[in-house]
Amino acid sequence: MIKATGLEDAAAVIADAMAKQQHLNVQSMATKSALGRNVSYDSYLDVSAFRGIRDYQPDELVLTVRAGTPMHEVEAALACANQMLAFEAPDLHKLLGTQSAGTIGGVLATNASGPRRITAGAARDYLLGFDAISGRGERFKSGGKVMKNVTGYDLSKLICGSYGTLAVFDEITFKTLPRPETNISLLFGCKNMAAAVAKITSVFASPHEPNAAAILPGSMAASAGIDVPGAMLVIIRLEGIDVSVTDRALHLLSADPSGTEIDESSSSALWQRIRDVELLVNQPGDVWKLSCAPAAAPNIIGAVQDQFDITFFADWAGGLLWLAGPPGASFGTALRAALADNGSGYAQLVRDQANTKTVISPFQPLSSAHYALHKRVKAAFDPLSVLNLGRMHDGI
Amino acid sequence: MQMPEPDHSVIDRRDAICRDLCNLIADHCVVDSVEGRRAYDADGLSAYRQLPLAVVLPETVEQIAAVMKYCHSEGIKVVPRGAGTSLSGGALPLADAILVGLGKFNRILDIDYANRCVVAQPGVTNLAITHAVEADGFYYAPDPSSQIACSVGGNVAENSGGVHCLKYGLTTNNLLGIELVTIEGEILRLGGKHLDAGDYDLMGVMTGSEGLLGVVSEVTLRILQKPATQRALLVGFDDTGSAAEAVGDVIAAGIIPAGMEMMDGLAINAAEDFAKAGYPRGAAALLIIELDGPEIEVNTLIDRVTRIMDTAGASSLKVSNSEEERNLFWAGRKSAFPAVGRISPDYLCMDGTIPRRRLPDMMVRMASLSQKYGLRVANVFHAGDGNLHPLILFDANEAGELQRAEDFGADILRACVEMGGVLTGEHGVGVEKRDLMSIQFTEDDLKQQQRLKCAFDADHLLNPGKVFPHLHRCAELGRLHVHRGKMPFPDLPRF
Repeated sequence: MIKATGLEDAAAVIADAMAKQQHLNVQSMATKSALGRNVSYDSYLDVSAFRGIRDYQPDELVLTVRAGTPMHEVEAALACANQMLAFEAPDLHKLLGTQSAGTIGGVLATNASGPRRITAGAARDYLLGFDAISGRGERFKSGGKVMKNVTGYDLSKLICGSYGTLAVFDEITFKTLPRPETNISLLFGCKNMAAAVAKITSVFASPHEPNAAAILPGSMAASAGIDVPGAMLVIIRLEGIDVSVTDRALHLLSADPSGTEIDESSSSALWQRIRDVELLVNQPGDVWKLSCAPAAAPNIIGAVQDQFDITFFADWAGGLLWLAGPPGASFGTALRAALADNGSGYAQLVRDQANTKTVISPFQPLSSAHYALHKRVKAAFDPLSVLNLGRMHDGI
Repeated sequence: MQMPEPDHSVIDRRDAICRDLCNLIADHCVVDSVEGRRAYDADGLSAYRQLPLAVVLPETVEQIAAVMKYCHSEGIKVVPRGAGTSLSGGALPLADAILVGLGKFNRILDIDYANRCVVAQPGVTNLAITHAVEADGFYYAPDPSSQIACSVGGNVAENSGGVHCLKYGLTTNNLLGIELVTIEGEILRLGGKHLDAGDYDLMGVMTGSEGLLGVVSEVTLRILQKPATQRALLVGFDDTGSAAEAVGDVIAAGIIPAGMEMMDGLAINAAEDFAKAGYPRGAAALLIIELDGPEIEVNTLIDRVTRIMDTAGASSLKVSNSEEERNLFWAGRKSAFPAVGRISPDYLCMDGTIPRRRLPDMMVRMASLSQKYGLRVANVFHAGDGNLHPLILFDANEAGELQRAEDFGADILRACVEMGGVLTGEHGVGVEKRDLMSIQFTEDDLKQQQRLKCAFDADHLLNPGKVFPHLHRCAELGRLHVHRGKMPFPDLPRF
């Protein structure tokens, strides 16, 4: 374990590893190390000392923070100014059996985004710029500290979700947003998954600005203390100023009087459980997430249910499916086949209970052309594969 | 502006190349004549003109791929072009390059309300997306001011913004998928109707890459439900500092308007002469603040913003009470460029971004630069996100004025970077700001960006001479300096 206190340290460690032809496993709080493949490495590069808020200008909506800063520190600072990171990063520590939500750098490296993703964007949409050391041991920066910037390639997008395989970053700058004054949720019972997606489609075709939508099977809703008059429960969240939220709820409920409303505290608690995938924590087996076209969700779920005994729920209006199913490759293979039969998307293994990731890739396999391009991109930043070798794909 | 030295061996082969292209696709897809090529000799940065070697106008993605493959194997450069509205010279032709125009890719392929997206060919105009879905209550949010003409493929290449991107984001935040053709002629799909990549976000890095990484042949765009209500405030101030502070106060109060625009005195009067929008002529600064959403929310926020403006010392304030009035408020702002064109034979439109709190400093700096260069400057800003559009007034017929105007513009952009901002907020680097890149970036920063370029286009055939001030060969960029030892695996290809 080598601990770096800043980018100059990290550069020296990387240069040393290059000279010795060694590989590094880059970690801070290690709360997300279960995600992805097992890394080939000779030693750890510990970047947990990259900690602290460097600059925060609430009325500019800009926050600059070091990557190793724990999420709870970032969230506490934002709360003081009544702001947030609008992409609503999930805290998967209960699902993954780790100690905490980890660091802001880990959120960025995994592009972790929660229920507001569908209307507000992902982590990648809020990263304005960063300062890093490449796998070549060279310092570079990209982006900036202002909200609107198209100067040079948008490497922020590439770095987000690259699982530490391209660079070690230190200072990162995010766009922040004001917290909504309040939120409530509307609950609708539906007879099946197709009806649930259709219900969400109709709400999103209204001008009432839903900002998150999830679907829970009735049994799962019951375990969360919600009685559902149907097999599936649709949850629609409304956020904003009080009069607006109340008014929009009124319109949506008068259009469909079968719905009910839950207040701010119940709504916030329920969405936190959805965001953090707590509804699957106690389910046995592997947990996968699927990103798909929202309207494809019923077919995908149907195809998988025909073959396996699963527990699932949907976020992102149906576009994000969280599924618990039997450990092993066959479940993941079936998920990817169902996805392929129903348009575009990807399936990622998130919780692995039986070394499943050694028999099936936790990341969606790439076509040969995509793989070749990914390899070249990796080599552009990390030609000797010093950083997190093999975390995402073979050699990447 | 120095462009890369043309390859005369390619220029000498022009006739043979045109014959090859005709055989490869079809005669009617190749523009060979001088008159025909003349139509493509510039984009929106019309101070720079260059006749392309030849123009091809493919009709299918396979034809794009065939042209790319041919150019790759023959070592011929390629300049992609959408509608040619770039303000930074992104589509400026090169004497030794084939211009690939995407104008015939003008069909919307799929309107998918269940997944809230539209799949379109890259030559479809930005506004046509909204037109296709507005009867059903939807729209496409990014609204660059050229939206009537600019193409969605060009929007991807430039990561175009608009006046509403404070709330709704730029192109990159509203793009779900693309199909691209690489310089090798390979057709790749990135993203789709689902969200996020799950791998390297190559679509994210393609967006705003100014035609240097690939040619976009299809886009999947997110569409949104139209807000129920839109209302605007027109607020005058006696000094720009108070106006800038008022903008910060709105955001500090937790309000993100759909748009927040600012104009200075010269721009206010030019726009008022032109559009008769009822702008306060005596004001030093004017804010247009638009709020959208459910009616009750908009009305509540209008009241809150009105109070904030009063407290901030507004000298005049009007609220739109009808769509006609709201459109009138915008008419002045939207005609600001042609309006300035009436008070000056020529103008240069700049595009930097600064942290908003530095706006008063920037106004002082611009006033002193204006004196130094003896040229007037009118200012329109996307004030909410600190994006400046200074319009430098000059007369190209006066000897030396164009150069003075360009030097003035470069000094403004230097000041943007010095104040913690960036060279371009939405117009792109292109050729216009290429030679200023080293103000914002170190040599290592730029080399790392070019290494990414090498992963897509190792021979620098795609749109060379744009974005980067110095072109480094990929082999040179790939060299490693390894301390205390020899380079491992010396035979591995690196870039």
